[in-house]
Amino acid sequence: MARNRIKPQGGFELTAWYFMRISGLVLVFLALGHLFIMHIANNVENINYAFVAGRWANPRTGWIWRLWDMSMIALAMLHGFNGLRQILDEYVHGAKARVAVHTTLWMVMTTLLLMGSYAIWMFQVDKAYVDQYRALNPAAASASAAR
Amino acid sequence: MSTLLPEPHAYRPGKLAKLRDGLRYQGGIGQWSWMFHRITGIGILIFLIIHVIDTFFVVFNPALYDHTVAIYGGVFNGQYFWPLRWAFRLAELGLMATVLYHAINGVRVILFDFWSEGCKYQKESFTAVMIVFLALMLPAAVVVILPLASAPDHMVKVPENTPVQP
Ligand code: HEM
Ligand code: HEM
Repeated sequence: MARNRIKPQGGFELTAWYFMRISGLVLVFLALGHLFIMHIANNVENINYAFVAGRWANPRTGWIWRLWDMSMIALAMLHGFNGLRQILDEYVHGAKARVAVHTTLWMVMTTLLLMGSYAIWMFQVDKAYVDQYRALNPAAASASAAR
Repeated sequence: MSTLLPEPHAYRPGKLAKLRDGLRYQGGIGQWSWMFHRITGIGILIFLIIHVIDTFFVVFNPALYDHTVAIYGGVFNGQYFWPLRWAFRLAELGLMATVLYHAINGVRVILFDFWSEGCKYQKESFTAVMIVFLALMLPAAVVVILPLASAPDHMVKVPENTPVQP
């Protein structure tokens, strides 16, 4: 890989090349930080609706986690799908086949990005549900209260 | 009598040889680090697609979300299955290793791109990637696997499906 790194000469591919590197560096912080929060700082077995509500709907720190997740989903989706496009371009050469592949990738990515952003922006706590859940799981309620 | 000599066989790679050549890339450490980078990249993407779909449950059906994430603790349909808990813990560790490798090797690739001298230290830098990887992965593995030694804190019970009431 290192002997002759290929850097595109210009146009969209050069922009994509820079994007892959910049998004990669930002994702080191965002994705590894996310994994650290979910697995090391917390126990994954304690993740539930109330946990997510406590992060996204927190009056003081909620915006930080929403901003974090929003940046992460945008960068990871574009980075991942652009990476997949680069891989598929190495194997798919026909013009028509490429248009089909690129269109499919774009549609899937846009749908997922919209779903993820909708969840982040539109989230509102269902308090009745949380109370019901806490009543059924007294141990879980104290675990997430301690956090 | 002249005998007709058979045409020399043109080399026609079979499907397997084509696949092998398609996946090969100059050989050596560069090939393997690159191939792992590619496999881990695709792996994270597949996980992320599932992950965005399950997180989406949060806005329209909290009970479905809790039902899904309860599987992490080995609870499926209100019943506890310990092999499920073990399988998810190990898969979780696998996912951490996947992201960690892709991230550290990605930084190495970026270093090569912006510092051309870097390519001379391809072998050494890969050793460094492995050292950093293990240094972070081993403690993480302890933290992730240790809870399996004891029973789960509590068995999650998920309420009946209720319409969302914001
Ligand atoms: C954690 C921080 C990350 C870093 C530092 C990073 C870095 C990189 C770099 C430098 C490349 C090579 C780009 C090129 O050659 O043009 C790459 C490719 C790729 N990345 Fe990432 N990445 C990260 C996270 C992710 C995530 C979260 C995903 C999945 C959603 C992902 C999926 C991919 C894919 C599919 C490729 C294409 C692989 C190939 O062309 O062989 N990466 N990454
Ligand atoms: C098994 C490991 C993981 C667990 C348990 C986990 C857990 C969670 C949870 C509970 C949320 C809800 C929002 C919040 O509380 O912030 C979330 C959101 C998110 N996670 Fe993860 N995560 C994991 C791995 C990853 C990885 C490896 C990535 C990066 C590629 C990632 C990317 C995201 C994104 C983009 C969101 C926002 C999703 C949306 O808006 O729909 N997660 N994760």
